[in-house]
Amino acid sequence: MTPLIRITGLTKTLKGQDEPRTILAGVDLTLHAGESIAILGRSGSGKSTLLSLIGLFDRADSGQYLLGDNDITRIPERRAAALRSEEFGFVFQRFFLLKHLSAVQNVSMALVNGQGWLPRRKRRAKAMEALERVGIAHLAKHKPQRLSGGEQQRVAIARALVREPRILLADEPTGALDTETGNLVVEALRSATDRGCGLILVTHDHDHASKMGRVLQLTNGVFDATPERVVV
Amino acid sequence: MRLSGRLRSSLIIGGQGIRARKMRTFLSMLSLFLGVLAVVTVQAGSVIAQRAMLSDVEITRGKDGTLQMYLPSNPQSVPVAIDVIKGRGDAVGVTRGKAVIGEPGVKPLNEGGGRVDDGGGYARAVNVTCDAGGCRPVEDEDAGAPQGQAIELGMNALTGDIRQFRPFRLQSGEWLDFSSAPSLSPRIVLNKYAAEGFAKHRIPAEMRVSGAVANATPRIIGVVDDGGWGPAAYVRSDELLNWMPVDSLSDQRYGTMELMLAPTATDLQQTLRTRLVAAGANADEIHAETINSLKEMQSQLSLMRWIFLGMAAMVLLIGVAGILNVGLATVGERIEEFALRRAVGTPRLLLAGIVLAETLLTGLLTAAAAIGFGIAGLKAVSSVLGSREPFLQNVDFPWQAGVAGIIAGLVAGVLGGLIPAIRAARIPIATVMRA
Ligand SMILES: Nc1ncnc2c1ncn2[C@@H]1O[C@H](COP(=O)(O)OP(=O)(O)OP(=O)(O)O)[C@@H](O)[C@H]1O
Ligand SMILES: [Mg+2]
Repeated sequence: MTPLIRITGLTKTLKGQDEPRTILAGVDLTLHAGESIAILGRSGSGKSTLLSLIGLFDRADSGQYLLGDNDITRIPERRAAALRSEEFGFVFQRFFLLKHLSAVQNVSMALVNGQGWLPRRKRRAKAMEALERVGIAHLAKHKPQRLSGGEQQRVAIARALVREPRILLADEPTGALDTETGNLVVEALRSATDRGCGLILVTHDHDHASKMGRVLQLTNGVFDATPERVVV
Repeated sequence: MRLSGRLRSSLIIGGQGIRARKMRTFLSMLSLFLGVLAVVTVQAGSVIAQRAMLSDVEITRGKDGTLQMYLPSNPQSVPVAIDVIKGRGDAVGVTRGKAVIGEPGVKPLNEGGGRVDDGGGYARAVNVTCDAGGCRPVEDEDAGAPQGQAIELGMNALTGDIRQFRPFRLQSGEWLDFSSAPSLSPRIVLNKYAAEGFAKHRIPAEMRVSGAVANATPRIIGVVDDGGWGPAAYVRSDELLNWMPVDSLSDQRYGTMELMLAPTATDLQQTLRTRLVAAGANADEIHAETINSLKEMQSQLSLMRWIFLGMAAMVLLIGVAGILNVGLATVGERIEEFALRRAVGTPRLLLAGIVLAETLLTGLLTAAAAIGFGIAGLKAVSSVLGSREPFLQNVDFPWQAGVAGIIAGLVAGVLGGLIPAIRAARIPIATVMRA
């Protein structure tokens, strides 16, 4: 079966204060449907930078990026926006809920992005279903300031899931949460792979990493030659 | 489908944005309000002033497009003209003469035809008549007569309803009826200066008309405002002709006949020329002119209007600076929202469009408020000052001012929203990972 993602030799150099710094120096990565990968690495090692290339927030300097059978290494922004909408779901360390919207509106906001159109009732139904999947449908009407950190992050996960993406990208989603709540959030993310979604989780927490199918260590701009294999 | 999805998405996002920042939207509107109001006021003022001036000019000169012809001083020209325009609703002939109403055989109170209370009006001019044999003074009918209760006024004899060209404002009574058979006692409509004279002095009803064979008993049936400066009266020329021979209408003292023709009556003009020349008139002496007051006035008014509009634009610009300031601050606050929206797939052009649309909407709402304020203000001014200034009575709000307000609102929205929109589109998505 064709993997969801095949990345080879990806590099990225960012302009530092004085001289340019090579953050990624030839990253290889393959992600299959239903697979989950944890990425570990020191702070500043380039984990977020890699995720922003995978999620098409930014483009690589060189290397190749195949999404299914399509080479999307250098697609224009207009198509990248469409792919972000159709193929990817994102979860960030901070939850980025819009504080003037309720939980369910924060979820359905991902459906109001100028890519296709669903009537209001369908949007609501889909958003409620996504909230149910992360176990907080009863909080649908609450505004973010009335939700705990863990609840807010689960609203953010529901927002990432509502378009049923094939690839879920999470950048330190438990960074702002206590261990127990963090476990809940990681479980919510991992359960998405049961439906065939691919998951890439950037984390500093080895416990959470150990719940993923594979763990990769980013050092000096490349993945370590001997990746840790973890048995679930 | 694709486009409508974008449009609907942007409406929802924009609506959410405005609702989440009602106070800020209100403050933006406030900063813009004065500027838009200034534009609306200047535009409304200039249109109303133009309307008022035009309606005065229409009364004294004639409506725009009316063809004015002056007949040559040929003895045959008036009877010929009367014959040609007989039965034509689209042409009216006017002859101007002198009449004295009041005691017979006296000098009128206002000898010379000035306003009655201005102490007799103008110094009496010596009437002169000229022909091939030279010029000599015309005999003065009132010479040596004692001063008495009589008023001299300009007598305008009309072959048809002149109000289609010069819309006199009826002040009391009624206007001349041209459809009925001519009456033996001439019906007369006075202008307001003549009516004032009759109201202040006890004047018996006998009328002397220059050139008439007998004195007539006039029936005064109405008073109009004709825009004139001295006492005048209007009468049907066929009723007047019951007292005087038709060729006396070409008398030097009357001047020649003035014809007013509707813009469509080109055939009539042609016929008239042919017939007049056939009757011995000199073609060069037939003067014709189309009234075009609006254009003349517009060039006078437009300079003033541009000066005022320029000042209004400055006020508007200050409002734009306000809306721009608020817009930039808002984008700064919404950086994370916009980065997130881009992360979930919203195209950057759509985000720019939404920011622009939000300020455009603010501009339009402001325009609506300013136009509403302008309409209410005009009503108030009209009801307070309308009794003193006739041109402020029942004034309609000019649609041009509404259009100007909407344009001002849109322009301000574009000027104030464009830079924030560009900034919004440039926000990098990776912002959401670095916070
Ligand atoms: N826009 C940028 N311009 C220049 N350098 C940048 C930019 N963004 C990030 N960097 C640098 O790139 C390096 C990698 O950053 P990145 O955020 O990918 O690290 P990370 O592995 O996610 O770290 P953390 O675990 O702290 O989140 C850092 O040294 C950072 O200073
Ligand atoms: Mg990071």
